[in-house]
Amino acid sequence: MKVPVGWLQEYVEIDADVQQLADALTFSGIEIEAIHRLGLTCTGVVAAEVREVTPHPNADKLRVCRVFDGNTEHQVVCGAPNVAAGGCYPFAPIGAVLDRGEFKIKKAKLRGVESAGMLCASDELGLSDDHGGLLDLPAGTEPGTPLETLYGEPETVFEVEITPNRPDCLSMIGVAREVAAVFGKTLKLPTPVVSESGEPVASSVTVAIESPEACPRYTARVIENVTIGPSPVWMQKRLELAGIRAINNLVDITNYVMLECGHPLHAFDYALVADGEIVVRQAKPGETMTTLDEVSRELSPEMLVIADRQKPIALAGVMGGAGSEIADTTRTVLLESACFTPGGIRSTARRLGMASESSYRFERGVDVNGVEWASRRAAQLMQELAGGQVRPGVVDVYPAPLEPRTVTCRYQRARTLIGTPDLADETIRDLLTAIGLTVTGGNDEACEVSVPTARLDLEREVDLIEEIARLHGLNQIEAKLSAATINPDADDRDARRVESIREHCVALGGHEIMNYSLVSADLLNQFGIPEPERVALPHPLTQDQAILRPSLVPQMVDTLGRNRARQIRHAVFFEISTVYAPAPAATPEARPKETRTLSVGIMGMPEGQTLAPRLDPSASEMFGFIKGFWERLAEAEGLTDWKIAPDDAPWWEPGLGIALRAGGEVIGRLGIIRKGIRKAWRLSDPIGVFEVALPSLIGEKDSLPTYRAIPQYPSVTRDIALVCDQSLPHETLVEVIWKNSPGTLEAVELFDLYEGDKIGAGKKSLAYSLVYRSAEGTLTDADANGYLESVGQVLKQELNVELRDR
Amino acid sequence: MKLEEIDTLTGTAASEAAVAVDLAGLEEVRIRYLGRNGRINDVMEALKAAPRETKKDFGQAANRFKQQIQAAIEERKAALESSAGPAGSMVDTSLPGAWRGGGKLHPITLLIQRATSIFRSMGFTVAEGPDLEDEFHNFDALNTPANHPSRDPSDTFYLDGGLLLRTHTSPVQIRYMETQQPPVRIIAPGRCYRRDTMDATHSANFHQIEGLYVDRDVSLANLKGDLEYFVRKLMNLEDVRIRMRPHFFPFTEPSVEVDYSCHVCQGKGCRVCKHSGWIEIGGAGMVDPNVFQACGYDPEQVTGYAFGMGVERMAMILFGIPDIRLLYENHVRFLQQF
Repeated sequence: MKVPVGWLQEYVEIDADVQQLADALTFSGIEIEAIHRLGLTCTGVVAAEVREVTPHPNADKLRVCRVFDGNTEHQVVCGAPNVAAGGCYPFAPIGAVLDRGEFKIKKAKLRGVESAGMLCASDELGLSDDHGGLLDLPAGTEPGTPLETLYGEPETVFEVEITPNRPDCLSMIGVAREVAAVFGKTLKLPTPVVSESGEPVASSVTVAIESPEACPRYTARVIENVTIGPSPVWMQKRLELAGIRAINNLVDITNYVMLECGHPLHAFDYALVADGEIVVRQAKPGETMTTLDEVSRELSPEMLVIADRQKPIALAGVMGGAGSEIADTTRTVLLESACFTPGGIRSTARRLGMASESSYRFERGVDVNGVEWASRRAAQLMQELAGGQVRPGVVDVYPAPLEPRTVTCRYQRARTLIGTPDLADETIRDLLTAIGLTVTGGNDEACEVSVPTARLDLEREVDLIEEIARLHGLNQIEAKLSAATINPDADDRDARRVESIREHCVALGGHEIMNYSLVSADLLNQFGIPEPERVALPHPLTQDQAILRPSLVPQMVDTLGRNRARQIRHAVFFEISTVYAPAPAATPEARPKETRTLSVGIMGMPEGQTLAPRLDPSASEMFGFIKGFWERLAEAEGLTDWKIAPDDAPWWEPGLGIALRAGGEVIGRLGIIRKGIRKAWRLSDPIGVFEVALPSLIGEKDSLPTYRAIPQYPSVTRDIALVCDQSLPHETLVEVIWKNSPGTLEAVELFDLYEGDKIGAGKKSLAYSLVYRSAEGTLTDADANGYLESVGQVLKQELNVELRDR
Repeated sequence: MKLEEIDTLTGTAASEAAVAVDLAGLEEVRIRYLGRNGRINDVMEALKAAPRETKKDFGQAANRFKQQIQAAIEERKAALESSAGPAGSMVDTSLPGAWRGGGKLHPITLLIQRATSIFRSMGFTVAEGPDLEDEFHNFDALNTPANHPSRDPSDTFYLDGGLLLRTHTSPVQIRYMETQQPPVRIIAPGRCYRRDTMDATHSANFHQIEGLYVDRDVSLANLKGDLEYFVRKLMNLEDVRIRMRPHFFPFTEPSVEVDYSCHVCQGKGCRVCKHSGWIEIGGAGMVDPNVFQACGYDPEQVTGYAFGMGVERMAMILFGIPDIRLLYENHVRFLQQF
């Protein structure tokens, strides 16, 4: 909301300078977001009368005007839609300067017609942002009057943010009330007085409220014999500074009173309201109405309308209808001042995609007891500024008057919650009365206050305490560290375990990445993830972020690919985030499953202990890297009991993808991404990826390591080399070795692997070191040779391997 | 050989040993003087031929010859060996080390972990909740009116079946209080989602850190004190100040926005704080009694404060990152910087 400081001064005396005022308001809860200086940015502009308007010979949208500046007539070409003979507008003659000296007016030819200056819109003068047409100066403005005489010095305007709980501050008086409270001043409110004449209003207007829950109060006044014309400059100027375009005196008055007191009003042309009958009702199915913005709207029964006997004439609290609009011909005004409840206004405004200054205020809530004041104030101004005669009385339908609320505030409670032990009872009462509350009772421990109906937000003790805190000053509160307490049930072990996993991934060379939780269907299609495995948003913001990710793998590959496109050869990435799976069964309470997941991706040769630049790794080398990362991580995290199994994920290179199993279930998968998928990112070299559900790594509870005695006797090592079919897994060989060795076998380590010409196709050569050690004494060479001999025999017989001498 | 000649020869040999360029050269020196056919033979002959009265002097000179040359050789040998590899070659110690390839944490994690460790030192523990929330935990229990704009499908992502992507980390407060009795001291870092079109400062995915402290007689003064302590530790600056501005959130009453004095200019005004001297760290306030009631706590028995801050925003301010999208681009040259 825009608040001209000069307007505030009408209601409260302000001694503070602009910055002090802005700070004081910000720290009492009305945030001043910006401070503008608005006013004329031009020199040499005068009021001028347009005496004749003729079409431009060469342009449809331009007109040629004869303009009188008080001394002489000029020919001026004008493109504004509202220029009319007899009108009075700002005129910038040759030599005038606009836009703070940036734009000097010179003689010009527009489409072949000479123009000796320019007629100006409000924005060209610096008065507002409005470029809807020429600024219409009030009738009777003497041609030649300098604009400075009319508009004076630039004014300070605050850009104010009003939080949704403070609709009472959506007006000049509302803000002025805060200023008065903060600076200890008195609020000066105008007392509108009208002199009434003619037949009582009740004889020509009837009001029926059919939806009292949506409209608790409706008042109507009638003002006769009004003369439509521009409103006075002071009013135009205030409206423009507050960001509302001046239209004509009647419309301007309703807007002015709304800005003044926060209560939206509406003026109907009485002649266009059939029989002066006002009905406040829900719209009927299929009803239509053309609103002031010339749009025909289809109405529905959840919308509240103001109707006459025949038809809707306004969308209640949102916008008037074109059929009953104030026009130049209007002689009698039916002035509506009513209270509509927020819910109905909101649904009407939202359904029609409309928002107005009026709906904005009703949606937040207006004071039902402020209705009559606003009506009287507008009637007074119509009398004073439009020559209207106010019919006696007001039609006021208010079936259930709202009484001020009484709320109790305990002094000690306020002190404790705010943390100000020294705040005196009396100070608390003073702070509450400063914002218009009345102390109506109480005792030593608490006070009872009456809350005006304008303060819809003050319902409970804690609401009053908030007022006390902000008016006392949040910055007066002395900071106090809270005392430590221990909650024995509080444990964040899982979070700490995730932190540990992150640290281990970093230590293993991983850079942590973060991708969006939402992915595109296209990406998932590339990886062959079928639709039943996806949780899709019914209304995504963009197609790029339409599905909650079922796996971290697609974005991992995408991230590697995008880095490769930026000339990164090698990278190790990891991501820890949630993946989502559809609810397992279609029961009403089933929700999609969320699993915290770790993914790791590697491309290129990992940097390690060598300086030499290396070629791209082979697929089997890459498999070793990614599996090694997983093994080291699992070991560091204490997960020892895991196994591999075949995996059918559609994105693996054939034969190069495995499932990781632990505790009887699949906890993850690991492998090399299929070439057909990689090529979309031009990744020609193998990419290793694994993904594992974090709960399996986190475990249920911490297992503490146990000491084992360090061996006293030396070990004996024997090597065994063998040749076998390529298809025989290392895992099987190692199992057989263990099974057929005595308890003295301590370790089996693979130290050589060869596949190639020397041993023939379909074969591989493996060499293992077997380490023997006894806890009872030193093993002899003969012992070790014996063990080796017997395990060798079994390998030969059971697995058909060929032993080689080394 | 005269007595003086022996000493001169000792000096010459010692200096030759001292300048030997490598172990082979040093060995040549040893052979030349102390070897089977070396100059030591001349010295021993001179000793043998010396008359009785000078025999003792020659004996001492011969000892000096052996000992001093031997010592010079040992000393040079030690020097040469210490700078030589196994092959005896020189090592360029300015070469880069070979143990390379460590990773880095993402800046968002870095900020969350930094904040978490500070709050842990203040007795807070980490609590977490699901990304997919129901309206009760995300809105109703947090005292959000039924018609509040934040519930609008144009602000919040809804799923079929009434769930939504949580719009803040505040539902973790509710879930925690539903199952735990006071005192409560938790922080809840996590992902949140809003229907914001992506630009330099907005992302539909973002992170928040939520804090909640509930106990007897918790006050706004505690909120101020605790946040002041936190920001001091976060910024590693002793004289950071905190200020609170009144604000409105449905789940706190009173509600405030919290600023701290700019860590770059110490409040004097600079580009980082947009010349105001202050930087906003988030929203906060005293837990609304309705929130306590929704969780089964008695607001007459306990009070509490809650706060929430945007992690991306803080990371951008702290690390000088100009565009929020950089945080989700995952370029390795970006990730390496933190």
